Amino acid sequence: MVRLQILGTGCPKCKQLAANVEAAAKALGIQYTLEKVTDIDQIMGFGVMITPALAIDGQVKVVGKVPTVEQIKAMLGPGG
Amino acid sequence: MSGQSACCGTAKNILLYACSGGANVAEVADKAARQLMSEGLGTMFCLAGLGADIQGMVQTARDADMNLVIDGCQVDCARKIFERLGLKNCQYLRVTDLGIEKVKGVRSTQDQVDKVVAKAKQTLEQVRKG
Repeated sequence: MVRLQILGTGCPKCKQLAANVEAAAKALGIQYTLEKVTDIDQIMGFGVMITPALAIDGQVKVVGKVPTVEQIKAMLGPGG
Repeated sequence: MSGQSACCGTAKNILLYACSGGANVAEVADKAARQLMSEGLGTMFCLAGLGADIQGMVQTARDADMNLVIDGCQVDCARKIFERLGLKNCQYLRVTDLGIEKVKGVRSTQDQVDKVVAKAKQTLEQVRKG
């Protein structure tokens, strides 16, 4: 089970990132949980000061950007 | 996180780092970075966090449009942190290269800060023009 966390306060970019992440995970057919972390203190606990950001299994993979579905698939795939 | 505009913004994400030493040149670097931030030219970020390998902070630097790194002296501690992390999206400045002597126990002056700010602006402008 892959833990996917969207770090952001809920702006349109955060929502787009969540949609792209979900699309990528579904396309790969992986089992996942998707969590939206909106609490600023919690976000800062990741060392992230710029949102949106994506953490995969607790590792921050993208900060301040919205990667495409294909880019996220690469992060979720083997060696990602 | 107040003052961060990257969320839903379209502005370039420029991060600023300053030497964290104890000599006057560190103070100059720090004040210059803060002045650049207050003028809206970038966001100051935590050099110590990168040195400590805080994963989210390293990724933040990696994903920035540019990291402007201001070292105090020729020891280049800040630059070495970026090089160790393999970060390429960086521009480097060194306070002592601008004719400011490193002296312990001496405070920085506004003239010195202005000199570094001017050089940093020049660097940012060159990068902007590509």
